[in-house]
Amino acid sequence: MLSVEGLTVAADGVELVHDVSFTIAPGERVGLIGESGSGKSLTALSLMGLLPEGVTATGAARLHDRDLVGVPEKRLKDLRGSELAMVFQEPMTALNPLMRVGAQVAEVMTLHGVPRDRARARAAELLGRVRLPHPEQVARAYPHQLSGGQRQRVMLAIALANGPDLLICDEPTTALDVTVQKQMLDLIAEVAPALLFITHDLAVVASVCERVLVMYGGRVVESGPIREVFTRPRHRYTEGLLAASKLTPRGTRLPTIAGSVPAAGTFPGGCVFRNRCPHADTTCEQAPALTGEGHAHACWHPADRG
Amino acid sequence: MILYLLKRLGVFVASVAVAGVLVFAFMAVLPGDPAEVALGVNATPEAVAALRAEFGTDRPAAAQFADWFGGLVTGDFGTSYVTSAPIGPQIAERLNVTVALVLGGMVIALLIAVPAGTFAAVHHRNPLGAAISAFSQVGIAVPAFLAGILLVFVFAVKAQALPSGGYVPFADDPAEWLRSLLLPWLSLGLVQGAVLTRYVRSAVLDVMREDYLRTARAKGRGRMGALWRHGLRNASVPVVTVLGLQLATLLIGAVVVERVFVIPGLGDLLLNGVAGRDLLLVQGVVMVLVAAVLLINFLVDVAYAALDPRLRGAR
Repeated sequence: MLSVEGLTVAADGVELVHDVSFTIAPGERVGLIGESGSGKSLTALSLMGLLPEGVTATGAARLHDRDLVGVPEKRLKDLRGSELAMVFQEPMTALNPLMRVGAQVAEVMTLHGVPRDRARARAAELLGRVRLPHPEQVARAYPHQLSGGQRQRVMLAIALANGPDLLICDEPTTALDVTVQKQMLDLIAEVAPALLFITHDLAVVASVCERVLVMYGGRVVESGPIREVFTRPRHRYTEGLLAASKLTPRGTRLPTIAGSVPAAGTFPGGCVFRNRCPHADTTCEQAPALTGEGHAHACWHPADRG
Repeated sequence: MILYLLKRLGVFVASVAVAGVLVFAFMAVLPGDPAEVALGVNATPEAVAALRAEFGTDRPAAAQFADWFGGLVTGDFGTSYVTSAPIGPQIAERLNVTVALVLGGMVIALLIAVPAGTFAAVHHRNPLGAAISAFSQVGIAVPAFLAGILLVFVFAVKAQALPSGGYVPFADDPAEWLRSLLLPWLSLGLVQGAVLTRYVRSAVLDVMREDYLRTARAKGRGRMGALWRHGLRNASVPVVTVLGLQLATLLIGAVVVERVFVIPGLGDLLLNGVAGRDLLLVQGVVMVLVAAVLLINFLVDVAYAALDPRLRGAR
């Protein structure tokens, strides 16, 4: 349904996302994980056509048979909010503070041809569907009268309003209290038609998604079914990420990945991870390709051979 | 909402009262007894005392203040010591002129600043947007009276299209009224418009970076559509603040422009009062100007509440 091929995002001549390819089937829930600066959000924003000024995407991305990259804004905006919808990381600032919540939900429907009175009625229904108590009351409220979790539900209601084929969520629970997180994740997993879920939290991705893409330095370094990738990681970066997230016995040192993520544009040539990788050698000066059916990795010295 | 407005109204009323005390006190400590001024240096002490009794200036200050301030509430500004004419009607007549002058200037400033500032913000990355910013910078550097003199030179002296000064009351001839105010409006509006353009530009630029504009675009709005529907009202909150300050500045600054264009406004009356040592007249005009500035501040607070639900407290 969604196919991305050779997606590259650049700003001022610096490549921030390099040659990313993946597909999402109808109903499939795919996670996109990686540290900050790995290019996850830019990948998502380029699918929405919402890259910041001065940042441009090349390559191909198609939802059904409609192009998403390199298409004039006029064509893209018809898709946004109808067939393709997104929930952002920061619920506190994502809603217009001067507009009632119901009107903001209704707006996405009237923009795509739903009559005004019908949209108003549907807005309250949707607020109920994302399990906001007293949806009629919430519809009349202003954003500042709602909590972060409630606002994120409103964002989800907006995203779902026109029955999109694909929902993109960019760290939708990162800004929320832990107690609210779980409910929100369950809700997303339940209502999402097909899902591209961006997070840096491995536990979250494991609970929501079926398949995962691991990004580092603007590249997909490993991809495959969650179970496989998390139990038998092949790329050394994934391996390090998993090791760092495991609970360790008291008194032992928390394993970490050496060094830190380089600034954009300063990643090494060849394998982007080689300056932090304990297994790197001269072969790694050549960029490894993402290879493998189902469970793929881009590493010259993969872990867990056989 | 109602509670907020009542509070603001209370602050407004209290400030006017305090301002009244201050204006009265300043005038009272100024040297120069109105009775002595009126009678000249050769007056006998008896005559001065008699006139003082007639003016009521021999009474304690508190009683004089109560009399004056109590009169203001009913629109009675007292009678001039110099011309023996009632002050209230003069101020009312002149206030009409000044308000027309200032509001017209402000409307022109807004008509310039809102489109120009928004355009400069939207196109802040290309030369045209930068050109507008630079142009508004020049406008800021030009004082209103200089702009006025230039306009008179171009439109009145060279083109002979508009009168160089003078004022025709609206009731006498609306068309001539408009012609007589056009140049003063332009000279106030161009300069204030330049200042306001910069504020509008920065407010719109700030709003363009807001997450909710991205949300609006994610819903399927275009860049301009999102800005129009979700941005402008948000951007207007800081602009209203500046607008209030500018109105106050214009009101006071109108004194100068009224001189340049020979317009019989409040500023003109104030200068006449000062020149003629007409203390009570000056006191009245200053009080009206101060009250007008306080009223503007009150209206700005009301505008905030109308624009931003977060300030209203309740839904």
